[in-house]
Amino acid sequence: MPRPERKLITFSIDGREVEAPANMMLVDAAKFGDVEIPVFCYEPKLGAPVGACRMCLVDIEGIPKLQTGCSTPVKDGMVVHTQTRRVKDAQQSVVEFLLINHPLDCPVCDKGGECPLQDVSFGWGGGMTRFVEPKRHFKKPLELSPLIAIDRERCILCYRCVRFSQELSEDYQLVLHERSAATFVGTFDGHPYVAPFSGNILELCPVGALTSMPYRFRARPWDIENAGSVCTLCPAQCNVAFTVRDDRVLRVLARENEEVDDGWLCDKGRFAYQSIHAEERVVAPMVREDGVLREVTWERALEAAKAALGGAQGRIAGLAGGETTNEEGFLLQRLVRDVHGSPHVDSGAGLDRSGLLALGDPGLQATVADLEFAHTVLVLGTEPVDDAPILDLRLRKGVRRNRVKLAVATSRPSSLDPNATLAVRYAPGAEAAFVTALSAAFYGGAVDEPAQAAGADAGAVHELATLLRTSGGDQPGDVVVLYGQRVLAEGEAVTAPLLKLAGALGLSGRPGAGLLGVPTATNGRGLREAGVLPDAGPGLTAVPSAGHGATGIAEATAAGELSVLYLLHTDPLRDEPQRAVWERALEAATHVIAHAGFLTETIREHATVVFPAESYAEKEGTLVHPDGRLQRLRPAIGRPAGVRAAWQVLDELARSAGAEHGVHTVHSATQQLFAAVAFYAGLSVDAIGAKGVRWWEDDARAAAWPQESGLRAAISDLVAKTPLSRTPDYEEAPTPSGLGAADGATNGALRLGTYQSIWAAAEVEASPALKFLHPHQRVELSPADAARLGIEHGEHVTVGSAGATVEAVAHLRNESPAGSAFLQSGIPEDAANVLQGPLVEIRKATPK
Amino acid sequence: MDWTPEDDQLVVVRGPKPGGAGGAYRIFGETLRGLKTTFARAVEGHHTIAYPEEKVPVYPRWRGRHRLHRFEDTGLEKCVGCSLCAAACPADCIRVVAAENTPEHRVSAGERYASVYEINLSRCIFCGYCEVACPFDAITMGNDYELSDYHRSDLIFTKEMLLAEPLERSPIRAEGE
Ligand code: SF4
Ligand code: SF4
Ligand code: SF4
Ligand code: SF4
Ligand code: FES
Repeated sequence: MPRPERKLITFSIDGREVEAPANMMLVDAAKFGDVEIPVFCYEPKLGAPVGACRMCLVDIEGIPKLQTGCSTPVKDGMVVHTQTRRVKDAQQSVVEFLLINHPLDCPVCDKGGECPLQDVSFGWGGGMTRFVEPKRHFKKPLELSPLIAIDRERCILCYRCVRFSQELSEDYQLVLHERSAATFVGTFDGHPYVAPFSGNILELCPVGALTSMPYRFRARPWDIENAGSVCTLCPAQCNVAFTVRDDRVLRVLARENEEVDDGWLCDKGRFAYQSIHAEERVVAPMVREDGVLREVTWERALEAAKAALGGAQGRIAGLAGGETTNEEGFLLQRLVRDVHGSPHVDSGAGLDRSGLLALGDPGLQATVADLEFAHTVLVLGTEPVDDAPILDLRLRKGVRRNRVKLAVATSRPSSLDPNATLAVRYAPGAEAAFVTALSAAFYGGAVDEPAQAAGADAGAVHELATLLRTSGGDQPGDVVVLYGQRVLAEGEAVTAPLLKLAGALGLSGRPGAGLLGVPTATNGRGLREAGVLPDAGPGLTAVPSAGHGATGIAEATAAGELSVLYLLHTDPLRDEPQRAVWERALEAATHVIAHAGFLTETIREHATVVFPAESYAEKEGTLVHPDGRLQRLRPAIGRPAGVRAAWQVLDELARSAGAEHGVHTVHSATQQLFAAVAFYAGLSVDAIGAKGVRWWEDDARAAAWPQESGLRAAISDLVAKTPLSRTPDYEEAPTPSGLGAADGATNGALRLGTYQSIWAAAEVEASPALKFLHPHQRVELSPADAARLGIEHGEHVTVGSAGATVEAVAHLRNESPAGSAFLQSGIPEDAANVLQGPLVEIRKATPK
Repeated sequence: MDWTPEDDQLVVVRGPKPGGAGGAYRIFGETLRGLKTTFARAVEGHHTIAYPEEKVPVYPRWRGRHRLHRFEDTGLEKCVGCSLCAAACPADCIRVVAAENTPEHRVSAGERYASVYEINLSRCIFCGYCEVACPFDAITMGNDYELSDYHRSDLIFTKEMLLAEPLERSPIRAEGE
C-alpha cells in the first residue's frame, strides 16, 4: 500500500488553536500544541491503540463522557480540554486505581528514575491513596527468560508486552492469564520466553515489571551516560544508544530511526554488548614465536607486520570482514593495492564489478521503509530473522498494518511463510534456475524447464509472477525485491534474470519500489563502495588489473602464489564457504596478519601477527546500510589500554612502506574516502549526523554512479551472454562419495542448503547472558526423508560429503521440503562450510 | 509589557557629610558602643578550649560524618543500594554500585544491596540531603567532625567505614546546655 497522504486540520486544545494531521490520535496531536496527555498503554509503534489503562482521559466538547485521548482521532474543529476539574479528578482516580495493587518498591526497582509510572504519579496523581486493604502478591523476582526478569506485582496490565509478542514479533508466546484483578502476564505453559526480539518488551514496559537480567541493579539513570552509535552485529545496522557507566557498556537501547530500525532491536544487538568486556577479548598485540602466540609490545608487532608485508610485494592478499568500517576498508585496499602493488583485496561481495554496478544502480534501490509501503514484497533467498533480523519485524508490520502482499521464495522454509500470500520453494543452490524461471514467466519464455531444474513447481512460479504483475491492480504496483547475497552465488546467471525481472516490474527509477540486497557482511555495501573488491577501486572505479576474490585468494595462497594474508576483522575458516581450501591456504601462507577481538580458530591456529581490534562501542567511522544509508559509528567508551584503532595501524604500515597519506585522525580518512568515491561527493560526517544519509537520494550523487553500465546496458549485455534457458550447474554435480556404505545405514543423498542463525556470531559466544542461545549444529530434514533414512527427531547424525563429515542433531520440520537438508554455517564447530556439497549423505552417528 | 525607561526611578541615599557632629559621633560613639561589649565580656573570664584535649559538644542535629545503619534485630544493612542519596547529593560525592541479594549471601532486607558504597568526604558539603533522600533511614549524618587526614584518598569513606562506629565519638550537647 502506498504511504498515506497527510492532511492538516485545526482543532482547539486548552483554548489554543492548533494544526495537526487529520486522524492523528489526540495524545499525539496535543503535542503540536505543547500539551502533554499522560499515557501508559498507548505506544504508536505497537499499532492500533487498545485503550486499556484509561490514563489519557480528556474532555471533548459535545461528547458527554470523558474520552481516551490515545484512541480518539482528532477531527477538524474539535474542542478538547485537558485541564478541567473533571479531567484532573479522572486522572487522579486512574493513578490511585493503578497504584492500588502496586508495591511502590521504587528503591529496589530497576525502573526507578526512568519509570513512567513514577513520572505520571508525580505529575498527575493525587498524592494519596484510600486503599488500606492488603495488596495482591506474586512470587518475585522471577525469570521470564534467562534475559528478562518479571515482577508481576508491579505490572499495571497495559498489554504492551503481550501486544508486542502477539502482533509485532508474532511469536505468540506472551499471554495474559486469568481475569480481572488476578490477571498476570506469562507464557502459556510457563516456559521461558525466548524469542529473537524478546528484549524489546524491556523498553516497552512502562513500569518495572519487566527488567533486564544482565542490567539488573547495575545502575540508575543518573549514574549513566547515553552514547548513540550503530550496532554492527548484522547488516540491518540498527541505531542504538549505549548505556555507559564507569567507561563500561552496561546496556543497549534502541535509538529510534524510522528509516532503519523503527525503534526495535533484536536480542543479539541488545545483549551481545557483553562481549566488549569479555575476559577472553584480545587486548594486546601478539606475535607467533615458535608456534605460540605471545603478547608483545606494539613496536614489535608492527615491526613483524612491516617485515612480512615488505618482503612480499605483489603477493599480499587483504580480506575485510563485515564489521570493518568504510575507512578501515578504504585504507586496507590502499595498503594492499596501491602501497604493496597487489590487487587481491576482497570483502566477500561475491559478485563482479558489472554485476554490482547493475544491481547497485541508484534508480533500482529500495529503502527499508519501502518494505512497509510497497504493494508487494518478494523475499528472495533470505531469511530476514537470521540475516538482518529487524527487517523481519518491518515485513510483518507491512503485512499486518498496510496489507502488503508478501511473497516468499526461498529454499529453506521461512518463518515468514505464515504471513505470506504466496510461498514458493526451490532446491538449495538453484537460485539461478529459479530466478530464470520467474523472469521467463514475465517474458513468455520457457518456464517449465528452468523451474524443474530449480526443483520448483512451475505452477507456483507462474502464480508468483501473476502476483507480482497484478499487485497494483492490472499493472505491477510498487514491488520491492528483498534478496539475500547468497542468491547471487552464481553471478551473471542470477543477476541477468534478476535485472530482467526488475525491468519487467518497472522498478527502475520508481520511488517506493526497487531491489534491496541483504549482504552477508554487516558493512558489505560500504566495503564494496569503498573499493574492497578484487576488480574495482573506491567508488567502484575500474582497476587496471583485477585480483583474486576471496576463494581465489585462498586457492592462490594454497598454491603458493600469495604468501601474506591480511585479515581485517574476519575469520575465514568460519566466515568463508569453503573451509577446506582456506585450511590449506592458511597452512601455506608465510604470514597471516590479523586484526581480531577474539582468538577464534583462524587467529589462534594460524595468525602470525595479531593486532587487538576495537569493539564496536569503541570505534569511530562510517558504515553503509544495505539501502545505501551512510551511518556514523561513534565511540561510546575508551579503548582498553593495549588496543589501537585499526585505521592507525593501517596508516602506520602504509607510512613505513614509504606512502605518506596524511591520515592523522579517523576523520581525515573519512574525508579521503568521500573524496575518492565519486558518488559520496559533498558528504561529511556532519551531514551524516545522527540518523544517516542515503547517498543516492541526492540527484547529483546518484548521477555520479559509474555510468558505463546503466541498467539498460547491463540488462541487454548480461542477457545476451546468458540465455534464459541455461541449466544451472548443480545437475551435473557428482554424487558424493563421503560415507562408506560398509558401516551403518547409508542412504540416498540430499541437497545441502546452508543458513546462518542469528546467534552464530563470535560476539554472542563471548556474552555470558547469551550463552544459552549458542547454536549447535543441527540438520533440518523433512519427515519424509527422515522416515526413509530411519532417523528420528533429536537423534545424533553424521552428515558427509566428499570425505568430510560434520556431526549434527537431526531436526525434523514439517515444512522442510523433501530432498534437501539444511545445515548452519558460521558456528565454531561442525559448521556447514566443512562440506563441499551440493549433495550430502546423512546417517546415524556411531554411538561414542 | 513594554518597558519605558522613564518609569524607572533611581533613588540615591547618601551618608552625612564628613566633619561636624555626625562625624565625631561616627569616630567615637560607634567605637565606644563596640567597646561596651568587649568590657562586658572581659569580666566573664577566659573561654579558651584546649582542643583536642577538650571538645565542644555538638548539637544533636549537628551534621557531621555520615553513618550507615543496620537493623538491630537481624543485623542486615538498611541500605538497599537504591542510589537515591547519590541522586540527591549536590556535590556528587556518593557512589553506589548495587548488587542482588541471594539466599546464601543476604546483605540487606530487600532484593538489592549496595556492594559498593563510597562517600568522598573531601567533597561533601554536609548538607544532609542524602539523609533526607534515603527512603530507609539507612544513612544519617553523624556527629563526628574530626575528619582531617594526610591524604585525600583516605577521605573516601567506604561502606565498611561508614557502617562501623566512629573511633572517637564527639560529645553531644545535653538538653538545655
Ligand atoms: S515500577 Fe516504577 S513506580 Fe513501580 S516500583 Fe518500580 S520504579 Fe516504583
Ligand atoms: S508486564 Fe509491563 S508491559 Fe506487560 S502488561 Fe504488565 S506493565 Fe504492561
Ligand atoms: S551531606 Fe550533602 S554533600 Fe554530603 S554526601 Fe550527603 S548529600 Fe552529598
Ligand atoms: S543509603 Fe539510602 S538512599 Fe542511599 S543507596 Fe542506601 S538505601 Fe538508597
Ligand atoms: S493510554 Fe489511553 S487508555 Fe492507556
